[in-house]
Amino acid sequence: MILSSIVFLPLLFALIVAVWPKSNTIRHLALGLSIVEFILSLALFRQFDPNSAGLQMVEKFMWIERFGIQYFMGIDGISLWLVLLTTFLTPIIILGSWTSITERVKGFHVAMFVLQTAMLGTFLAMDAIFFYVFWELSLVPMYFMVGIWGGARRIYATVKFFIYTFAGSVMMLVAIIYMMYLTQEATGTMSASLLDFYKLKIPFVGGTFFSLQTLLFFAFALAFAIKVPAFPVHTWLPDAHVEAPTPGSVILAGVMLKMGTYGFMRWVIPLFPEASEYWAWLFMLIGTVGIIYGALVAMVQPDVKKLVAYSSVSHMGYILVGLFAFNAYGMSGGLYQMLNHGISTGALFLLIGMIYERTHSREISKYGGLAGVLPLFTIFFFIITLSSIAVPLTNGFVGEFLILLGTFQAEPVFAYFAVSGVILGAVYMLWMFKRVFFGEKGELVKDEHHPLHDLNAREIAVLVPLVIMVFWMGLFPNHFLNYSKASIDYLVNNRSNYNLTIVEPGATSTQHAQGGN
Amino acid sequence: MNMNVGLSDVLLISPMIALFLVSLIPITAKVLRGNREQPHAVTLAQALIGIVIAIGLLIVFGGGGKTAFNNGLIFDGVTQWMGIIALGAAGAAMVMMYENPSTTGKQFSELIFLAMSSAVGMLILVSAVDLLMVFIGLEMMSLALYLMIAMSHEEKLSKEAALKYFILGSFASALFLYGVAFIFGSTGGTNILAFMDSAAELVQTSRLFLFGITFVILGFCFKVSIAPFHAWTPDVYQGAPTPHTAFMATAVKTVSFAAFLRVIATKSLIGSDHLFDILQWLAVITMILGNTAAIIQNNFKRMIAYSSVAHSGYLLIGIITAGVSDNGAFGASGVIFYLLSYALMTLGAFAIASMLEKSENHIVNVDDLAGFAKQRPMLALCLTVFLLSLAGIPPTLGFFGKFYLFNAAIGEGLLWLAIWGMISSVIGVYYYLRPVVVMYMKEGNAEVASHSLNATTVTTVIMALAIVIMGFVSGPIFSAVEKSLF
Repeated sequence: MILSSIVFLPLLFALIVAVWPKSNTIRHLALGLSIVEFILSLALFRQFDPNSAGLQMVEKFMWIERFGIQYFMGIDGISLWLVLLTTFLTPIIILGSWTSITERVKGFHVAMFVLQTAMLGTFLAMDAIFFYVFWELSLVPMYFMVGIWGGARRIYATVKFFIYTFAGSVMMLVAIIYMMYLTQEATGTMSASLLDFYKLKIPFVGGTFFSLQTLLFFAFALAFAIKVPAFPVHTWLPDAHVEAPTPGSVILAGVMLKMGTYGFMRWVIPLFPEASEYWAWLFMLIGTVGIIYGALVAMVQPDVKKLVAYSSVSHMGYILVGLFAFNAYGMSGGLYQMLNHGISTGALFLLIGMIYERTHSREISKYGGLAGVLPLFTIFFFIITLSSIAVPLTNGFVGEFLILLGTFQAEPVFAYFAVSGVILGAVYMLWMFKRVFFGEKGELVKDEHHPLHDLNAREIAVLVPLVIMVFWMGLFPNHFLNYSKASIDYLVNNRSNYNLTIVEPGATSTQHAQGGN
Repeated sequence: MNMNVGLSDVLLISPMIALFLVSLIPITAKVLRGNREQPHAVTLAQALIGIVIAIGLLIVFGGGGKTAFNNGLIFDGVTQWMGIIALGAAGAAMVMMYENPSTTGKQFSELIFLAMSSAVGMLILVSAVDLLMVFIGLEMMSLALYLMIAMSHEEKLSKEAALKYFILGSFASALFLYGVAFIFGSTGGTNILAFMDSAAELVQTSRLFLFGITFVILGFCFKVSIAPFHAWTPDVYQGAPTPHTAFMATAVKTVSFAAFLRVIATKSLIGSDHLFDILQWLAVITMILGNTAAIIQNNFKRMIAYSSVAHSGYLLIGIITAGVSDNGAFGASGVIFYLLSYALMTLGAFAIASMLEKSENHIVNVDDLAGFAKQRPMLALCLTVFLLSLAGIPPTLGFFGKFYLFNAAIGEGLLWLAIWGMISSVIGVYYYLRPVVVMYMKEGNAEVASHSLNATTVTTVIMALAIVIMGFVSGPIFSAVEKSLF
């Protein structure tokens, strides 16, 4: 029952927070509960077998029998890290929001925990309808988070966010229902189980646009591409990021965007192998354009938060390119980059939130010379900047390197262009860094009425785990990659005949490795 | 015609009899007390007891597929489910009437009597398989409603609404009756069961029958507000006192769809391509028009009225599905399940609107909800649940309603209708979110009316809980509905 506990405990926490009578201890309570959740998720490692490509710790029973819809959860090397990313970031976000969320504190933490359940459920659900329920549920708390605690244009941003992502996913629902009927045709009984979907051989005739597989492929891909967000359906993201409160931005960049790229790995690529291959150029193109376009737009942003938001478009483009390279480098690079982006961009948004709390401005031109005033803040910001521009020994390097390696192997043309993103990334981040931290002291920094204070103990406690992860993942990538290697290898090698199996508890790992490959 | 009415017939119609008898209690009491109202709470309690008895009798005696009164009425799964939904909705609407300022005046006993008479008409309608019986049910239900709307004292809009509803409702009835005459002319009878097996052929061979069935269907399109016959809906829904609107939008719509379903179940659609095409387009137009028109509404009731037009469009997809499939049970149970979810969430939305009305002529606009979440967090949460459910966001019941409905449509090969349905639900999200935005994200001091509203509050909370909980157990409910239809 470990997966169900991990997914639904936050929902219980949300209830506890909602009925908690003392308003002044809600933050402590929420922090404690989220740490419990994180520790519980660490217990996954005790049961997880890294040598197996199969689905582990499976829990399933019939939910809606009439249509073969199951309550079906399982974990493998692909979802493992995304689950941990979610549980790892949540306590950090709660601690980080300590002083930035001052109104309706209870509601905020309720939303936070509901969102956590929705995200974890999305990563672990192995039944299409079950998955869809979590997928859509995640919109609701995020909608409130931006809409209630956000900035001046929060309502525009939150409605745009909701409608964009909702519009993207309704076609996926139609496609899911259609595929349920395909399972009925193939086996006689209807099923929404992902494992049964994998067994479908959906016709793909000559790659024409109207082949069934292509249509279903695009129905799914659109939903995921909007979530990623891939160019040109990315426009909701900068708005949402800029208007969201700091914790909202962190959770959005840190986890929610990964739901899109995860969707490509889990659903699109193995379910529609021929269509994915045929249209891979399109998604690599979209990814590459996203990399360059995001970087160029980031460069000219006067608002530091918007800059980071556009850098997300660029970074997420890498992941898309890596996934559609269809080789072990590209795929594992893509997965690694998902984690990296969660950590580095999450940290950047936290840092920006901290300085915003002090100055109530995010305009780059009003800063300058911060390094002299806030040395500790500068050091942290610098480390994260290095990670974001993928300097060797940081986590970002490993991800981008693997992705580019994979892309060169698969489609060198795209790699030539994608690699420019590395340089552009360095340009906009370092240029921003220079303008904010060095040079003349800007009007906000030398404001004598409001002297700036360096990071306090709480803020350091927020940032230290993230910095540790930056170096840990940068120095010892195998600690992480080893856990997903079997799953990724299996996905790469058996893409056209993907047949995820359920690993029974207690079986020896060597058998799975054989069975998996 | 050989008319044998026995005890079994009386047992079958016992819900109607019970409901009618109980409806007499409040007005009798009023007469006996020298034209003085008994306490409103007592009247309400009597009405609710009547409804509970009727539901109980419906469960015990209905549902066996038996016919009564010379095949004029049938008591099968559709009767049972639709009847229960309609009666439940009527009960909830009466609770609202008890506490709404424009309905709780001096004539409360009469009002409850009329509402219950209307409910008797509804029970006839859900079980009628003779077109004339359908007509009787329709008229009995509607006449009581015209009076109910016109009865409210001051409100100018409600007189207008009553008149509009009366004229257009009569027009719809006339259209329906005209169609029945044609059908009688071509088949020599008006009983649906009689021409059930031959209808698919008749629409092809007999022009007269095709005319007849078309007019009957158009009559229903008026009743359930399918575009372009929906024009009365927003005006009447807005003008009528809110509890009446809730009554019309849920109970009346449910039973009208039940009767619609019975006519469609004759398989006329399979016979006639044109009829099928026309209905498909009507569904598409209704969904798009209802949803787009709702976007620009500021009046809360008007917005929900347009939303209910859009939901009629979704339901029409289910009706078409039931009509074209060999085994209509799947499509029909999709419709029933959707009506169940629709009734709960629409009643909820109107209940909130009813609570916000401070006086008889008070008009609730969406902007008035500003700050509602701070003042009444519980009710705001309930309204959020209703709106998310109306928009079809999981894991609410509304999502599963859409899922089953579209699932049936896709199963019958009506993929493009399901896609249209999905596209229009995206449009719908835009306006369903607006009250949520205003409630939670705008400053203001929305207050519910000052007098006590306990009963309505309890009903609202129950409905919100039902929407969340039933979402998780929707599978067994759906299966139960489907099984009862075989």
